[in-house]
Amino acid sequence: MSSSLHLSQIRKWFSHSPPIEWAIQQLRELLIGALRQGPVPQHVAFVMDGNRRFARNHHIETVEGHNLGFEALARILEVCYKSGVKVVTIYAFSIENFKRSKYEVDALMDMAKVKLSQLAQHGDLLERYGASIRILGQRDLVKQDVLEAIDDAVALTSKHKRAILNVCFPYTSRDEITTAIRDTVADYSRPMKPPLKRPFSESHIVRNIRAQSISIANGEPDSQKSSREPSPGNAPDSTNASDFGTGSTTLHTSSAFEHEPKISDAPRDPSPTYPDPETITSATLTDHMFTAGMPPLDLMIRTSGVERLSDFMLWQSHQNTEIHFLDCLWPEFDLWQFLPVLVEWQWRRRKLAESDRGRKRVKLL
Amino acid sequence: MVGFRETEALRRNVLPDGRPLSAHDRERLLRPYLPPTPDSKSPSRAPSSSGKPQKSSRSKPSKGFLRQYLYVLIYTVIHALFSAYIRVRRAYHAIVDHIFAVLYYHHRTPELIRKDVSNLSRLPQHLSVILDFNDDEQDGGGGLEGLVNDVGEIAAWCASAGIPVVSIYEKTGVLKSYIPQTHRNISRTLESYFGTLKKPSLSLRAPHLPTFSPPATPPSAFATASDFSTSPFHITVLLLSAEDGRSTLVDLTKTLAEMSQRGKLSPADISAELIDAEISESVMGEPDLLVLFGPRVELKGYPPWQVRLTEIYHAPDNAGVGYQTFLRALHRFAKAKMRFGR
Repeated sequence: MSSSLHLSQIRKWFSHSPPIEWAIQQLRELLIGALRQGPVPQHVAFVMDGNRRFARNHHIETVEGHNLGFEALARILEVCYKSGVKVVTIYAFSIENFKRSKYEVDALMDMAKVKLSQLAQHGDLLERYGASIRILGQRDLVKQDVLEAIDDAVALTSKHKRAILNVCFPYTSRDEITTAIRDTVADYSRPMKPPLKRPFSESHIVRNIRAQSISIANGEPDSQKSSREPSPGNAPDSTNASDFGTGSTTLHTSSAFEHEPKISDAPRDPSPTYPDPETITSATLTDHMFTAGMPPLDLMIRTSGVERLSDFMLWQSHQNTEIHFLDCLWPEFDLWQFLPVLVEWQWRRRKLAESDRGRKRVKLL
Repeated sequence: MVGFRETEALRRNVLPDGRPLSAHDRERLLRPYLPPTPDSKSPSRAPSSSGKPQKSSRSKPSKGFLRQYLYVLIYTVIHALFSAYIRVRRAYHAIVDHIFAVLYYHHRTPELIRKDVSNLSRLPQHLSVILDFNDDEQDGGGGLEGLVNDVGEIAAWCASAGIPVVSIYEKTGVLKSYIPQTHRNISRTLESYFGTLKKPSLSLRAPHLPTFSPPATPPSAFATASDFSTSPFHITVLLLSAEDGRSTLVDLTKTLAEMSQRGKLSPADISAELIDAEISESVMGEPDLLVLFGPRVELKGYPPWQVRLTEIYHAPDNAGVGYQTFLRALHRFAKAKMRFGR
């Protein structure tokens, strides 16, 4: 036991000596640069599971475990953004987590506040990565002081356009879906604005038509009529004229009435018109999710060997997302664990592209 | 990655000489590790003065060019190695799968299956599987017949193990249009496992379609009276397709929107509990265990609302429905180790 501890001390000293550290640094840069050469997932999600178990295994405080988890997150974000991932979504805090001990919840909240306010002090440095922070979740469950830190960080990074970091903070996916449905329903039960008054008046058009038909009747009746109305061949001339006549009179009278009571009539609006609910599609709901407007989720990674989604990104991950359950704990998660997953994803994408090309060629033949 | 000393300082929020870290110090610590400023993003252009300290900014363009070549080279090497690795991995998984298949075979005997699961601490009450409808003969797909056979086998294993509800997700939903035929086929498979007398009763259901469970035939009624003091096992098979996933939620939204337009409901009334009640009534509740028989974890349009806490099992690089995979999933669910050998 003591010898292994000793060994790990030596290993630690060795791996932290400047030349080795430099070499590892260069190797990382090379690998990330190499990853950029292939297709890169646009949207990656992480469930950062295992901080507590890591702390228990290493006999350190739970809070310390969360701190180490935060450092792992920083490393992974660096890898993601350097290799060209556009959106990273992390599951920081579930609504269910409020059921944990008050001590731990408070510590987590404090940590969020401290880290976010630290970020806020370094706006110009964050800009180099060009990532804007967004917080997804139930805001009203968060305390006021944490909320302020959140808002500061979000406002400060809102100008950045190159990448997005979604922090799911008091989040559950069911809550997200519920919110999306509720918002959609609210959208669709808002009466549509009455159509704007168009600049054409019906009576004027009718008058114009009548004027034209009169001029036709007066001018060359036969040739004009045959060229204009080829289809209703057996419709006699007289009915046509009378049609116009009656139409014009009714329209005239109605418009005459309309002129005075128009103002009193408009606001009453007996039956408001609503948008048709049949036009709701899954795209409508997707647009009402917290992740609206972001690329579809390509890759989801959960650490610590738990093979469950645990109420995370249910709507987003249900289709073509590749889900990976890894056995390592989150604080241990680094490029070395992430690399095989990314390479496998790239490999599969290339395979898919190849088979697509093959199919197209078959079709062409 | 930030160096060890800097990480330590950041973590403690104290400089190595003991002074507390200010915002300025923090920036100084991190500066060497940051990528260059956005305006010098392209490698061919020289970085601005505030960027990463460059040791040899003179030879930068050709260096960048070489670097690019190096990246492409490494990328190619990585992928060459990876395709070799994945072949080995697939072979390995296939061998393991075969060993399990030989060691654990059901021999169409419910007693054997029951013995396989007897030492498990818990069993799922609702098992769900994702199957593929593969109509491509060249691709090794069994078509509709293969699919129906798989459904029958899975139902028989579940009935033997004592799992009362099985939901079968298949993206296209072909089975839904052949419910009576599927029912007949599953019954036949159950019969071949249990024999005519002890055959469990079966009801086949699909959301929005009436349950198909023909009345028990007289022999089975007779069997219940004579053979069992308890009623025979009843298994429910539920057929799901892509339209029970997102589309159901969309349909629910449509209905809710209509109600809200007619003033029967206000948007504030919509809660997760309401949606959950509606969804679990019209489609199904949350399954306890989801078994994927495909090579990787992909949900392929599986109902999103219900997978919230479901354990997801997949055997890596696996293809096709096998009893050993089913059994390994149950072992995994009960957090039990499965050994080579019964």
